[in-house]
Amino acid sequence: MRAKFVNFIIIFIFLFFGISLFNLQILKGRQFKEASLKNYLRLLPQSGSRGRIFDCNGKVIVDNCLSYDVMLLKQSQQDLKKIFKKLSSILEIEPKDLENTYKKEYIASSLPITIVKNLDVKKAIALGELKADLGNIIIQPHPVRNYPYGKTACHLIGYLGEIDRWRLTKLADYGYKTKDIVGYAGIEERYDYYLRGEDGALSIEVDNQGRFVRLLGFKSARSGKDITLTIDLRLQKIVEEALEGRNGCVIIMQPYTGEVLALASYPNFNPEVFIKKTNISMLLRNPESVLFNRAISGLYPAASVFKLISVVAGLETGKIKPSTTFNCTGNMEIGGRQFGCWDVHGQENLMQGIIHSCDVYFYHVGLILGAQLIYDYALKFGFGRPTGIDLPYESAGLVPNPLWKRIHKLQKWFEGDTANLTIGQGYLLVTPMQMARMMALFVNGGFLVPPHIVKSIEGVPISFPVQKAIKISLKKDYLNFIRQALRRVISEPDGTAHILADLPVEIAGKTGSAQVSGGSPHGWFVGFFPFKNPKFTICVLLEHAGSGYAAALLTKQIIEAMIKEGLI
Amino acid sequence: MKNFRFLILITSILIVCLGLLSIYSTVYNRSIRIWKLQIFWVIIGLFIFLFFERFNYRHLWDAAYFLYVLAIFLLLLVFLLGIVRLGAQRWLRIAWFNFQPSEIVKLIMVIFLARYFSTKSYENISFSFVKRSMWQAVILPFLFVAIPMGFIIEQPDLGSGVMLLFIFIAFLYISRVRKKYIIIFLGVMILLVPLFWHFLRDYQKERLLVFLNPNIDPLGAGYTVIQAKIAIGSGGLFGKGWLSGTQSQLRFLPEAHTDFIFSAFAEEWGFFGCIVLLFLYYFLITQSIRVALKTQDNFGQLLAWGISFLLGIQIFINLAMNLGLAPVVGLPLPLMSYGGSSIVTTFIALGILASIDKRRTKF
Repeated sequence: MRAKFVNFIIIFIFLFFGISLFNLQILKGRQFKEASLKNYLRLLPQSGSRGRIFDCNGKVIVDNCLSYDVMLLKQSQQDLKKIFKKLSSILEIEPKDLENTYKKEYIASSLPITIVKNLDVKKAIALGELKADLGNIIIQPHPVRNYPYGKTACHLIGYLGEIDRWRLTKLADYGYKTKDIVGYAGIEERYDYYLRGEDGALSIEVDNQGRFVRLLGFKSARSGKDITLTIDLRLQKIVEEALEGRNGCVIIMQPYTGEVLALASYPNFNPEVFIKKTNISMLLRNPESVLFNRAISGLYPAASVFKLISVVAGLETGKIKPSTTFNCTGNMEIGGRQFGCWDVHGQENLMQGIIHSCDVYFYHVGLILGAQLIYDYALKFGFGRPTGIDLPYESAGLVPNPLWKRIHKLQKWFEGDTANLTIGQGYLLVTPMQMARMMALFVNGGFLVPPHIVKSIEGVPISFPVQKAIKISLKKDYLNFIRQALRRVISEPDGTAHILADLPVEIAGKTGSAQVSGGSPHGWFVGFFPFKNPKFTICVLLEHAGSGYAAALLTKQIIEAMIKEGLI
Repeated sequence: MKNFRFLILITSILIVCLGLLSIYSTVYNRSIRIWKLQIFWVIIGLFIFLFFERFNYRHLWDAAYFLYVLAIFLLLLVFLLGIVRLGAQRWLRIAWFNFQPSEIVKLIMVIFLARYFSTKSYENISFSFVKRSMWQAVILPFLFVAIPMGFIIEQPDLGSGVMLLFIFIAFLYISRVRKKYIIIFLGVMILLVPLFWHFLRDYQKERLLVFLNPNIDPLGAGYTVIQAKIAIGSGGLFGKGWLSGTQSQLRFLPEAHTDFIFSAFAEEWGFFGCIVLLFLYYFLITQSIRVALKTQDNFGQLLAWGISFLLGIQIFINLAMNLGLAPVVGLPLPLMSYGGSSIVTTFIALGILASIDKRRTKF
């Protein structure tokens, strides 16, 4: 009886063992197989260098230099203590700090842990000599971004940083991993997929002490693709020097193709800060929005420059003629409110209205055209939507119309709103890039060109981000009329940008003073030169500069420097 | 008429061969000497088996009390002169090898208990402890067991100590001691657990806690449990192949050639290999129980039962420990694990079993 019970227990226990084995080896087999791989496999990443960035003449804007990382393979605790002690004497870092970084950087037992980054060559050599004693330490040379010109073109280039969670979830399918270095802002972000090097790796077998047993596999690293920009480094430097110290931006663009030759935004930053990881928080906390690219992301009222839209709309629809005359008495009553002009201009025709940038003249024009027509033409000229430049974080801007106001402001559209829209004030918001493109359109005979800054990738000219230029049918006579008007803004003694008249190059353009709440007006100058055979469109915006005069002055400074450098 | 002793010998040789293969695999790339030593002990073990097969086990009846005293003496020697290895004082240095007395003490206690429980009473000639009082049936033999148990746990060798307790409980059960007494005894033991806990060493407490949740200390005490599970699990259906077990070859699995030989075996031979090994062990235990059932002699019967328990309980604890079903207590797997004391003791036990089988009254 009792013997039978014992037999029963034995059978039961053996069955139980069998089931446990089935569970461990068959049901959970794959999971444990992975765990055993993790135990003995170590991957030593070999980073490929990021693609370089050149200007249009093949000059290096950004390249790479070698830097050294010290990495450790996972190993026993006592060995670690010894290694930290030895390392601290060479690196001049406390062993405790080394231990802390070791704990912080630990990802998985199969990956080496980086404990010191960006070591200089001397220390790397000193460590290399000690390597025989230290065993499991790896000194890994790896390429780091090098910015030979510091801050130059910083907003165009962008900067580098460790991938964040948001990007990782979006880009995981494209082979991005945690701790990858990716571009933030500028070309580095937009073309990250091309620029990024492909990491290679050594896979090695280690024992329980983390000691190397044998090499299992090797995949070599690949460098990223080099990118050539349409930017001319000489021009870029001129523009940045001129802009230095004043919040605002300058764009110089080729008017026929949309190639951006120079693009500067101030305040700027040195992208190297993000490599050395010093003072990043100061940079990010700066209330002046240092990282913000004002040329494509900044939104401003277009001010008087926007009057050109009404001119085109009026002429094309036949609602006004060059001979249409209005009287400027210094102000005008619209819908029971007084709308002022900046001066008293008397009787003016269209040409004079543009030259003087007379507000009252354009209030009349606006009331004749109506808001919807101006809105339609503004959209034709590319306002209210991104220009599609190959840089991230471009703003769309805003062109208001009666329907928009009803929906968003829950208010009726007043005639005063039309008057405001005509002179580029009120709800209207544009980016400097949109303004530059509008000016290019007058130059190239009615093509809305796609602005872009990448010329070729690894020598192959790009075609994909560049949309085709959109043809806007405008009468040649009217275009010529506008070009003449823009020229006379400078050449006429009472033109708003007469200050540019004494330059050896003939310039045409339009100033603007954007009224903003809080602070003095922003200053605009948008133009092109040389007048006879235009090669450049320029757009200058200076925040709170008082008026368009300051922007015209800056333009003068830039063009003088360009002449000096022989760029025109 | 089945020849049990032949089957037992063949089964145990098969298990020993699997053990030798696994030990070779775990040690061949660092110290082949261990493997050669094991072969030496196996050969010695086989001779000892043959010696005890020819030896009349009934002499053990007379020697039981002497053996008991010898056991206590050996344990005292360990306590006084034993060498410390892996934080425990379990070994005696004899000539050029280390001898672990707790192994042989377990066998001696089996002989002693078989002798004690097969004593006939004056009132009742029939073999039965049913009529015996609580003092005679439980308390007195437990006191005899408690002394060596105390020494062994103090070494500290919790595994062997607890095994003695299990063997004692099994003896109570199979000697037909009243169930009431057994239940009272078990109840008292369970009530004593908190007190017992208080006397455990810190590392033993840690191991028991780690058994409940290995993840509380993955690099310390839980390491072995986790690595053993990884070794067994990663073996999968067919195993990684002989000499290809990464867990044991690259030394992630500690004690791969001793206490965790089963994990190393499972890694290389997979589920199929394990099932074969489990079957061999099952067959060995059931054969030795059959010897007990066929034997008429009270002492012989109890001795055969005791040896079955000795093997069975040790196999169960070791396998459970490997599979993460029991705390890590440091017990070798009979016939597989490396270790002279274990191999020789096991072959002595099997030899005695063969001797009982041989001298059985045949009808």
